Amino acid sequence: MHLKKTLKSLFKLLPLLWLAACFTKEGEDKGMKVFHYPVAVKIKGIDPIQADDLYSGTEVSRVYDGLLEYHYLKRPFTLQGNLAQDLPTVSDDGLTYTFKIRPGVHFHDNKCFKNSIGRELVADDIRYTFMRNADPKENSKGWWMIDGKIKGLDDWRKNPDYSQDIEGLKVIDEHTFSFTLNEPFPQFLYALAMPFSFIVPRECVEHYGQEFLNHPVGTGPYTLDTFNQSNKIVYQRNKKFRDKFYPTEAAEEFVKRGLLKDAGKKLPFFDKIVVEVMVESQPRWLKFQDGKIDFIAIPKDNFSSVLTSEMELTDEMKQKEIELLIEPSQDVSYTAFNHDLPLFQNKKLRQALAMATNGDEYNKLFFNGTALVAQSIVPPGLAGYDEKFQNPYRQYNLEKAKKLLAEAGYPEGKGLPEITLDGTNSTDARQMAEFTKMSLEKLGLKIKTIQNPWPELQNKIKLRKGMMHSIAWLADYPDAESFFAILYGPNGSPGANGSNYNDPVFNKMVKEASTMQDSPERTALYTKMNRYIAEEVPVIFELHRTSVVVQHAWIKNFVVGDFAHDRSMYINVDTKQKERLLEEKF
Amino acid sequence: MSSPSSSSSNTTTVDASTMNNRENHQKPIPLKGRSLWSDAFRRLSKNKMALTSLIILGLYSLTAFLTYSNIIVSDWSESIGPSYAPPSFEDIRLLFGTDIFGRSVLYKAIKGTQVAMSVGLIVGIISVVIGVLLGAIAGFFGGIVDEIIVWFYTTLSSIPNIMLLIAITFILGKGIFSVYLALGLTYWVTLCRIIRGEVMRHKDRDYVQSAFSLGASRGRRLFVHIIPNVSHLIIIQFSLLFQTAIKSEVILSFIGLGVQGTPSWGTMIDDAKLELARGVWWQLAAATLFMFVIVLALNILGDALRDALDPKLKGKD
Repeated sequence: MHLKKTLKSLFKLLPLLWLAACFTKEGEDKGMKVFHYPVAVKIKGIDPIQADDLYSGTEVSRVYDGLLEYHYLKRPFTLQGNLAQDLPTVSDDGLTYTFKIRPGVHFHDNKCFKNSIGRELVADDIRYTFMRNADPKENSKGWWMIDGKIKGLDDWRKNPDYSQDIEGLKVIDEHTFSFTLNEPFPQFLYALAMPFSFIVPRECVEHYGQEFLNHPVGTGPYTLDTFNQSNKIVYQRNKKFRDKFYPTEAAEEFVKRGLLKDAGKKLPFFDKIVVEVMVESQPRWLKFQDGKIDFIAIPKDNFSSVLTSEMELTDEMKQKEIELLIEPSQDVSYTAFNHDLPLFQNKKLRQALAMATNGDEYNKLFFNGTALVAQSIVPPGLAGYDEKFQNPYRQYNLEKAKKLLAEAGYPEGKGLPEITLDGTNSTDARQMAEFTKMSLEKLGLKIKTIQNPWPELQNKIKLRKGMMHSIAWLADYPDAESFFAILYGPNGSPGANGSNYNDPVFNKMVKEASTMQDSPERTALYTKMNRYIAEEVPVIFELHRTSVVVQHAWIKNFVVGDFAHDRSMYINVDTKQKERLLEEKF
Repeated sequence: MSSPSSSSSNTTTVDASTMNNRENHQKPIPLKGRSLWSDAFRRLSKNKMALTSLIILGLYSLTAFLTYSNIIVSDWSESIGPSYAPPSFEDIRLLFGTDIFGRSVLYKAIKGTQVAMSVGLIVGIISVVIGVLLGAIAGFFGGIVDEIIVWFYTTLSSIPNIMLLIAITFILGKGIFSVYLALGLTYWVTLCRIIRGEVMRHKDRDYVQSAFSLGASRGRRLFVHIIPNVSHLIIIQFSLLFQTAIKSEVILSFIGLGVQGTPSWGTMIDDAKLELARGVWWQLAAATLFMFVIVLALNILGDALRDALDPKLKGKD
């Protein structure tokens, strides 16, 4: 009797055991092409209009598509049609852009659609997407990008009614759509390749309401399977993905690297993407070493074990056939002042603080000297950057900084309140914050560092809380305007300008440049603006970083780059090679 | 954590002679017995381990006091050498090498003592005040008061401690003040249970009854008569709470919820997590050593106190 009972209860446990087995063994992935993608922060959610950071932007681009995209292998970066068949036809006055929408593109199957079958994407979806971006209720983080640009949209925004017609957003027929702008806006096409403007279906937004953030429905190559904010995000291949093929043309450097082997093959290659959220760098590194994730930016503490002083891979890495990719990023890292506070209206104070932080030391300690000390805001590679320019307030000089601080009215920091410095919560970020704290305390300031999870830090910035924060900005498109945008007054939080810097002189220059086409005049103006910002020090510029990435040999077509957000559909894996290498070398 | 429930049952009976001493002042007793405390002290002083622990505790407290008043290691944040210089005997400051910013790891560990000791002390005091007060009230008054307090601490203790700590630090913001409160507000439950049980045992004892018949008020009976007779339990628990608090501070700082900006053993170990990859072990070693010594000392002391204050062991030297 007793035995029977035990057996019975054991029997009941069987499904549980089976479930446990499912979680532990990786057999289910056998033969499947899986991409193991590491990410260093928690992802706040997957909704295009909330994707104002690199990480959520990347996740959004797995599920959603925009009208335009960057060619995967062409350099300099070139836009091409994506949901649009091709680049638009532009009217003579340069204000009307007419797109032909690709027919036969379907949204993912989802219960928000009739019969749970994804319907075809039509021109009206584009109209809806842009209206949603403008709707104040939706609190789009991308509105700043098109604020004041599209005809009639700003008026509509005051009293949103989705049935109303807007002059600037015109549905011509099911597969033709046109935008009309208020004035020339040379970056407009770039804006269409940014995650904010990726197309969403109205019925799903309305069906899920607030929860749309966690139930993405798009037209992209992958569908969301599991979303676990602090642990893992899993995507499955969209089996109904339209016919899209690997490019057949490439820049010289990529041809040499053999990136055209998959030319003309149908995309995407992976059956499944597993995004592993690992805030700390060491677990990430260990997983990479075990072959459990496919690539990684080398953590600062592992540099010496991966690279020799000549920046070559060590023998241990070569033996595992690991490959190295180095590419300067178009970015700038900085510590921002909250200009809402009268305290930071004091230019001398900002200059003093900038002068007291040693950029070279920072570069050496945290980036092994691979980065470039930022003199102003525009990174190398973009018009407006001046290689020879040295910002006097970025040359570390404690004595001069002390003098400036006294001139600012705070001799030896007297009279200053305790200043808070917000950053993210990994150990590296804490050490970086400590570095800034130490540097500024040498001036006599009192600094309090605060560590926040990434979504929380972003939230603080959006709500204009805090006094200083550390952050980095990556180019959204290959134009210095993308960097000036983060200091443009009207873009203040919740827009892209998290420092809330609002300087009429600079605003005027941004406005002036915004309607100019790429030309020597514009480059001259950009250079002038960059110098002006260097003098004003609205934020403490830190570095222009370089991606130093290692990948496993089984990952193919991997390219390190900036604003082309999702590249995972182009990346391939050689499963046989992976199996062999894992068996022999790991 | 050690098991305090067993300690309570060992130490409940207060020696009759002691009680006579306390209660009966009229007649001098010819052969003067030793009081619980003097006896405990005599037994403790015979225990070399306990004495050593006491000295260590004293040294740590002194260090903490000296760092607090900036008499020593006030220049801990100065760089004294290159980043990650290995330990050497050339300079006392380099005994444990330097950290990422070239600061002396030894100085950081000493500065960390201040944080650890202050957390131990303040958390100990907060928990003792809450625990004793609630425990005594619950045990003494019983009935609905008792039920409410018991319900309260059972609920509190059913929430995983670390979750509660994280929640509290999120509400209060991060920093040393939050650590004091977060730990102090969660660590009183064990003490409260013990005191409640003890007070229940004591409140019907003869000496309390006689105090009652002499017209002593409730408050007087509880705080003047009963509490002093259970105070040895408070001391034992305090020494255990002290070291638990130190350990918890280290854990909280390790996961980034603890002190910010000043060195703590927890943040040093957190740094070490990265540095170990480049073969830098000294920060981990220094922090662990400093913590190990004080936690061990407090544990030994706690045990010794328990033995010394246990009337049942009296005379078994």
